[in-house]
Amino acid sequence: MSTFYPWRFLAPLLLIGLSLTVFSCREKSYVYEVNEVTVSPNNAEKDKDKTTNQFVSILYSNLYQQALSPDQQVDLSDLIASIGDKQLAYETIIAKFLTDPDIVLPSPAEMRADPTQFVIDTYRRFLVRTPTQAELAFFVNYIESRPDVTPEMVFVAFATSNEYFYY
Amino acid sequence: MKRRSFLKKAALTAVGTTGVPYLLPTGRLFARTNAPLAEHVVVVLFAGGVRQQEAVYQRYLADSQGLDIEGNVLYNLLEGTPPEFKIVYGVNTPDGQPGGQPIDPILATPLNRLGTLFPEVRYTGGYTGHYTGLSTAMSGYYGTTQGLQSRPLHPTIFEYLRRHGGAKATDVWFVGNGIGGSTPLLNYSGHRDYGSRYGANFFAPTVTFGERGEKYIKGFKCFHPEEELSYINEMREFLNQTFMAQGRTVPGLGNTEEEKEDIKAFMKSTFEKLENDQLAFPPVTDSGDLATVGFAAEVMRWFKPKVTVVNMSSPDSCHASFTNYLGALHRCAHAIGFLWDFIQQQPALAGKPAMLVMPEHGRNYEPNAILDENDWVSFDHDSDENSRRIFSMMVGPGIDGNLRIGGEDNPVGDAADIVPTIAELLGIKDRVLGAGLLAPTARSLFDRI
Repeated sequence: MSTFYPWRFLAPLLLIGLSLTVFSCREKSYVYEVNEVTVSPNNAEKDKDKTTNQFVSILYSNLYQQALSPDQQVDLSDLIASIGDKQLAYETIIAKFLTDPDIVLPSPAEMRADPTQFVIDTYRRFLVRTPTQAELAFFVNYIESRPDVTPEMVFVAFATSNEYFYY
Repeated sequence: MKRRSFLKKAALTAVGTTGVPYLLPTGRLFARTNAPLAEHVVVVLFAGGVRQQEAVYQRYLADSQGLDIEGNVLYNLLEGTPPEFKIVYGVNTPDGQPGGQPIDPILATPLNRLGTLFPEVRYTGGYTGHYTGLSTAMSGYYGTTQGLQSRPLHPTIFEYLRRHGGAKATDVWFVGNGIGGSTPLLNYSGHRDYGSRYGANFFAPTVTFGERGEKYIKGFKCFHPEEELSYINEMREFLNQTFMAQGRTVPGLGNTEEEKEDIKAFMKSTFEKLENDQLAFPPVTDSGDLATVGFAAEVMRWFKPKVTVVNMSSPDSCHASFTNYLGALHRCAHAIGFLWDFIQQQPALAGKPAMLVMPEHGRNYEPNAILDENDWVSFDHDSDENSRRIFSMMVGPGIDGNLRIGGEDNPVGDAADIVPTIAELLGIKDRVLGAGLLAPTARSLFDRI
């Protein structure tokens, strides 16, 4: 008759239990990271049209890089009220501003030295957003392939575009 | 085919061919029309509130100040002898008498002899306020719930003409005598089926070409069409396409690029004419109303619009000065005489335009408490019966001359008649009436003869 040794059965059980306890509690830890992105509004979010006062003060700031005085704002708003076609009124006022040597306008040489940066700056200046890759490619190509295009023409196109009427 | 089926299909075809053209967006294809009587219509809103007593009935001071002095101060419009005493409505005399020198008549024959006068027209609905009156004249609908600083509730004649008559934006003009009140809002309505895309071009020329225009517009840069503008348009088109992909557009009057360039050329030319004293102003231009009519004449000469509306408002000085009111009436008639004469001197326009003249509403019978420099009482316009009395006059091609319809005891005509009358003159009467948006009292003045 053989002798009964209880530890022969208990030892493996204890070993399995210990292993389960140790290994089942080990949790994998993850560290997430994000790429650095500059967030700016896209044109889809612009659904409010600018009032006349907003338009003229923003336009003046964009062109002169300084604020419009209250007197000038009243005069310009009255003037725009006196013309039925608002877009036409804005176009003539922009065309008048462009005759003023005080407006802050890059030179053609500056534009052509780095068209990519010029386009990005112009989008930020007038439309308060970064251009999409398609928009950037269009304008860079347009400027590079047309030597007669000036920064003034680009500014007029942006300041009279439909998107510029919205915020 | 069975008889029942045949009848059903025939009936549907008949209804479709008759009704569908009227349901098209413009409502014009095959729509019935009348033959146009005139190529151009100019409407002068003799506005500000005009009492019948001093206008068509030529009572001067007799029905207001208790002085037995009668006479006609509107002798470019109406035949009649001017007053002989207490002359205050003209320009200053050389020896300094204020208003003592009446302005010389411009027309050898007064307009009432050339056209048809409705001396007793009624303003039948709503409060006799300036904007309600002007809005009624422009829309043919009494906006009894019309608020200030809001567009007319019902379509204006400009919108009818552009939508149903196929007119382009520069074919229709509203020339306002300022930007006060709601004047700049009268060029189109807020009606959902019409609105800005059918609106009229508008200038308040004393502002556009005044001090502010001199400072912020005069000398604006004109881009070369091929060397500059073509590039700008291409880049703008690209920007607009990317924005329109989001479903957004800018509401506008629908001027084409060519029309916009034409308007800019007009503005440039007008500034140059002003600088060189070459603008066609009335012989006496000592008020904003007279200057406005001068600019309206330039608009007519340049664009040859199908409809031009010009408004005046100086008779409203009657709230505080009867003396100034008489001067204003006299100047408004001077302005109207000048405009009619100017039109007849333009080779491209002579004999073609019809002209309509109407105050927007009248003035009270009883005075207020304000005395002017001559101790004469003044008059408001508070919707009393007298302030609902106005006159209307039309002259031009297809309009009978020397005709007077109605009288003091026989009112004929309504303040809302202007729109259907213009529509008849330009051949779109049936379309305008068919829109069903006029006041129930509105009828063409031709139908009242």
